[in-house]
Amino acid sequence: MASSDWLDIVGWTESMTSWSMDNVHDVMPSEDIDLQVTIPSTWAWPDPITVGPIFNLQDGFASIQPALEAFMHAMIMCTVVFGMMMTTMLVIPYIERKFIGRLMDRLGATTTLRSLWVGESGVTGGEWWNKLPFGVGGPIGWTIGALNKTWGNSHELETVSRVNNRSYHGYWFLLPGFFQAFADFFKFATKEHIVPRDADKVVFEVAPVIILSTTVMVFAFVPFGPHIYAANPELSLIFMMAIFGVAPLGVFFAGWASNNKYTLIGGMRSAAQLTAYEIPLLITVLGVAVLSGSFNIIEIVDFQIGTDEGNVWNIFMMPLGALLFLITMIAEVERIPFDMPEAEAELVEGWWTEYGGIRWGLMFAAEYMRSYAACILFALFFLGGWEAPFQDTLADLPWVGGITEFGLSLIPGVGWVLLKAWALFAVFVWIRASLHRVRTDQILEFGWRYLLPLSLVHLVMTIAIRILLWDGGPWNLLIPIAITAVSGGIFVILAIDEDKDALEIQRRPYSTQAVVKASPGSHRD
Amino acid sequence: MAEMWISMGPQHPMTHGLWTLKVKVDGETVVDTEPDLGYIHRGVEKICEARDFTQITTYCDRLCYASANTWSHSYIYAAEDLLEVEVPERAEYIRLIAIEIQRIASHLMWLGAYGPDIGNLSIMVWCLREREMMMDLLQELGGSRMHYNFPRIGGVKRDLPYGFAQRARAKLKLFLNRIQEYEALYDESTIFLVRSQGVGYAKPEEMVNHGVTGPNLRAGGVNYDVRWAHPYSVYSELDWSAPVERSSIKGADCYDRYRVRIEEMRVSASLALQALDKIPGGADTHYEPEDPMILAKAPSRAPEGTSGAHHFEDSRGESMFYIAGGGEGRGKQPYRVSIRSPIFITIPFAAKCMIGYKVADIPAIMGSFDPCIGETDR
Repeated sequence: MASSDWLDIVGWTESMTSWSMDNVHDVMPSEDIDLQVTIPSTWAWPDPITVGPIFNLQDGFASIQPALEAFMHAMIMCTVVFGMMMTTMLVIPYIERKFIGRLMDRLGATTTLRSLWVGESGVTGGEWWNKLPFGVGGPIGWTIGALNKTWGNSHELETVSRVNNRSYHGYWFLLPGFFQAFADFFKFATKEHIVPRDADKVVFEVAPVIILSTTVMVFAFVPFGPHIYAANPELSLIFMMAIFGVAPLGVFFAGWASNNKYTLIGGMRSAAQLTAYEIPLLITVLGVAVLSGSFNIIEIVDFQIGTDEGNVWNIFMMPLGALLFLITMIAEVERIPFDMPEAEAELVEGWWTEYGGIRWGLMFAAEYMRSYAACILFALFFLGGWEAPFQDTLADLPWVGGITEFGLSLIPGVGWVLLKAWALFAVFVWIRASLHRVRTDQILEFGWRYLLPLSLVHLVMTIAIRILLWDGGPWNLLIPIAITAVSGGIFVILAIDEDKDALEIQRRPYSTQAVVKASPGSHRD
Repeated sequence: MAEMWISMGPQHPMTHGLWTLKVKVDGETVVDTEPDLGYIHRGVEKICEARDFTQITTYCDRLCYASANTWSHSYIYAAEDLLEVEVPERAEYIRLIAIEIQRIASHLMWLGAYGPDIGNLSIMVWCLREREMMMDLLQELGGSRMHYNFPRIGGVKRDLPYGFAQRARAKLKLFLNRIQEYEALYDESTIFLVRSQGVGYAKPEEMVNHGVTGPNLRAGGVNYDVRWAHPYSVYSELDWSAPVERSSIKGADCYDRYRVRIEEMRVSASLALQALDKIPGGADTHYEPEDPMILAKAPSRAPEGTSGAHHFEDSRGESMFYIAGGGEGRGKQPYRVSIRSPIFITIPFAAKCMIGYKVADIPAIMGSFDPCIGETDR
């Protein structure tokens, strides 16, 4: 049950391959080719002996045609998906650069978001939408005007004055950051490759290959849209999570093989962190599979958006799971606050230290690919994948429902997947700009003591919801509303409690000096 | 994992300068440390012996790149003690304004560098943004961006420029608002609290025994500040009190040292604002250079056998200059100059504080002591 979407790349590729293969089949000679040789009878063998086959090229081709078609189809889809991944991934470092630049320059996320709609220089010179060709910026201007009218936009407001703090560069200022990734690539590619003298050379060279290849392989199972995927096995979720967990092994190899103390500690940290966070991650994902009743990613998405069953985004059914998935994924892709393996303050980039040139660049690209994959997976597992937000509700609206449905159907599903993934990456960047790095023992404590039990609770809750509350059709809308309301209430209560904890700062609740001596005589008395 | 020595430095993000910290680790736990200083020893004390008293100020500016003004003032007070100069009161007020603005800039540099130490880069950009305002103010006074050469023996180089008081008031008030942003980013973040609280305990009695001074000592609850203990400028005429953190029984941790510096920035801003209000002659008047209101006549020679010394509250602790005058008939130049650097004394103590904590705590602890290697190696 795949969703309807006009961008049916898989279908187009299938018909194209079968059409071309049929043509190849048709142009083959249809008559038999006789390669038989008959040896006449002699005294030794009374009957003449016939050796050799009779070829029919068409029949022969017909027997291998399905395999050829499948191979060609897979090749084309791999190329399409890989190319789509590489091109759309340019947006990821772009978001990181632009968003974090604004976050660091200004008050915080609210002002940053505001600056995104007000423009670089706010009210005065920044009406960049008027400069777009053919007047296409008109609607943008109306939207911004409406936003400014709603939330008030005057120079007296501090946020606006902070937005105005930065000079106006026009809208072309947006472009250069986009192609910076190419410049970086060429810079890395032209650098000398240095292997430390005492490094384990084979493992040192193999580690980047492991990291990069497994990272790219993850995208083989990630559907960008209902009809855009390289492979869709029945158990694609299990395949993908298995491959996702291989790259930290490569990190450990790299850290060990470099024969450097910093990389060694970084690799050790990576291994410890992997063990602590892979298990909650897998249990959380298991909850997603349980709720949707499938190990296939496309079916998981279809369960969230199909009208005949499910039809509620998972984030409303299991907010706890979404939160756990976000946290464990940040730890899995080793971003702040969980980037202990590459802590630049004490380990000088940790396990990266000895790598340089294109190997470093590719491993860094792999890191961003993993972040990107994590964002796409969040969009697929929890945010309804390729469905527009509240698409069915909007389509059911009186008067405007029909035209809204038609308008939304023009947007291919891949657009929604990418938009959701990019927005999620902006959340990653936001987290990076506002949090500090956690210490190793705290990361492990957090993983084992809180995330693992919470993920088990999440799994049990998911099973209970699935068994007790699901009647085989679409969800009763009261269920997600109740779940979301309760979760939001708990979140607010916890947030208020945290403010009360500020009083306890004086009591030093987080004393973490090593209680057990690491080795005899090592502890300061 | 077996124990091993890691050599952090001389080029390492943790060092904030140029020195080596050898760390013996057992897995992730620090077992032993050994600081190794002296990479940028320039021999400032020896150079000073061949310079006139007025020329030495520029060398003292270069003792610390983050806090140049306090170091040149530190020298100037010792030289005035040696030459027995009576400084006009207006000049003292101008000096106080310059010193306190420099202290804010130095603490902002520290706070900005402390963020990347524990993994947050945003605070660095924010702090440097506000540090620019302070450096603009100091540039108006001294004429250059980092090494101002502002004080003179007997007064200051120039009076407050036109409009300085207005700009300084506006910027300091804006800065007082922005401190709340740093606190919002730091104190309200649980991750910062778990990284800084209970880490790097320094007992006050140990700090006193080792000679640790300044904000690091006041974080441990010891209310010792040269500015009130041995008042030198017009500090005794202003309404202020040194921020002292009430630390736990284990001593001062990184969070205490962070808090005390945040409060000290507030106190410095308030001191500068008060001085602008109280300055004799008014903050908006402008005297010509070498006017007796801002510069007293000073002798250029110190006879043999005289000596001058002065305690000074630097941004990082108690700095001290000892100058012996005369000698070999060269009364225009000092016979001997000796500098007490607060951080030279603090670094070995900070290295000792790390033992028992994790590797990730090394930059957190070292950064919280605010090292500056320029003055350490002299």
